[in-house]
Amino acid sequence: MDLFLPYIACLTLALAIYVALRPSSTSSRVVVQVAMIALGVAAAGWLMGLVVGSISEFVDMSQGIFFSIFSLCAIAAALRMVTHSRPVYSALYFILVVVATAGLFLLLEAEFMAFALIIVYAGAILITYMFVLMLSNQADNPEHPETQALYDRVPREPAAAVGVGFLLLCLITGTVVSGTSSLPTQGDQQSQWSTLENLPKQFESSVMEIDATFAWPPIASSQGKMIRHDGDESYVVSSEGTKLQLPVSILPRNTQQVGWSLVNDFPVSLELAGVILLMAMFGAAVLARRAIELGNQQKRKLFVESDKAEDQS
Amino acid sequence: MMTSAVLSGYLIVSGLLLAIGVVGFLVRRNLIVMFLCTELMFQGAAVAFVAIGRFLFDYSGQVMVIFILTVAAAEAALALALVVLLHRQQDTLDADAFGELNE
Repeated sequence: MDLFLPYIACLTLALAIYVALRPSSTSSRVVVQVAMIALGVAAAGWLMGLVVGSISEFVDMSQGIFFSIFSLCAIAAALRMVTHSRPVYSALYFILVVVATAGLFLLLEAEFMAFALIIVYAGAILITYMFVLMLSNQADNPEHPETQALYDRVPREPAAAVGVGFLLLCLITGTVVSGTSSLPTQGDQQSQWSTLENLPKQFESSVMEIDATFAWPPIASSQGKMIRHDGDESYVVSSEGTKLQLPVSILPRNTQQVGWSLVNDFPVSLELAGVILLMAMFGAAVLARRAIELGNQQKRKLFVESDKAEDQS
Repeated sequence: MMTSAVLSGYLIVSGLLLAIGVVGFLVRRNLIVMFLCTELMFQGAAVAFVAIGRFLFDYSGQVMVIFILTVAAAEAALALALVVLLHRQQDTLDADAFGELNE
């Protein structure tokens, strides 16, 4: 791979964003923006093609195709979100980003995270954003873009911002290109098997399902593990000395693995996350309540003043 | 099984989302859209976490995404409450209009 090609792709993308952000005459603006976003997505696709090499790197063809569709959708929606002058449309395009990212998570076999992302992000957080946007924005006429607020139409320092983004992207691209091949080649599946050992009921029932005559419990090895490994194979040994090979299909599912990792590896962080959410709820309630109280006091003051005025007359 | 070339593809997507989010945060002047761009940066980080977790068979990556969701939810609740207060005060969402809050 040519050393400079990824950076040229990054530069093309940065220029496309810059042109899409620049304020132009309102009539041709949408056309220019859409053309520039198409150029940006093409540059992003080229960059990914350069980095991945060929589609045969994926497990099968369909995975590669789905990866390209989801990732290009996410990037196109992100670009449109940043360049669109209407905040409500920005929020809607962000939902598209979230859905495309959930598709990528499904490809990564993280189905719990995919649906949690759609429920929490697209379902809860974005609805809050939409409420605040609709409460605070004056409705504007789509026929006359000049009625929109100036701060939504004119970007702030687009050249400097795109420069910063370009440098960041170059740094990430350089690290990825030179760094990923030196990562440890593969994690092993043994950690997944040890999760099964931590779920004794499920372990027993799945072993009994394979072989009902198996003398439970199996004997632990010298390291205290019931499941032993021999190369890619995993097996248990009963007290009678019979060896039973375990198929991959009885491994715990993704959701079970994530749940186990959450409570086993990060118990303190889990508690802290709960405290953070509680504090955020308190904070939001306190902020909102103070606003209402101020409003009432002002109303009371106005009421008293109008009373005085009536008395004087 | 996932090759390191595929992993770098996912990492490039996450880097692109992050960089676009940074550009959006710096460029946009609407407070709410600025916060939306930080959510976009969170998305980029989440993709990187899940991809590397899948590559190394380590589920901590997905646990981190749960914490990212927590932070995003807390941020949305607090930041939007503050934005509503600021909007009542000045009747605008322009971030530059609040440059004199410290006075």
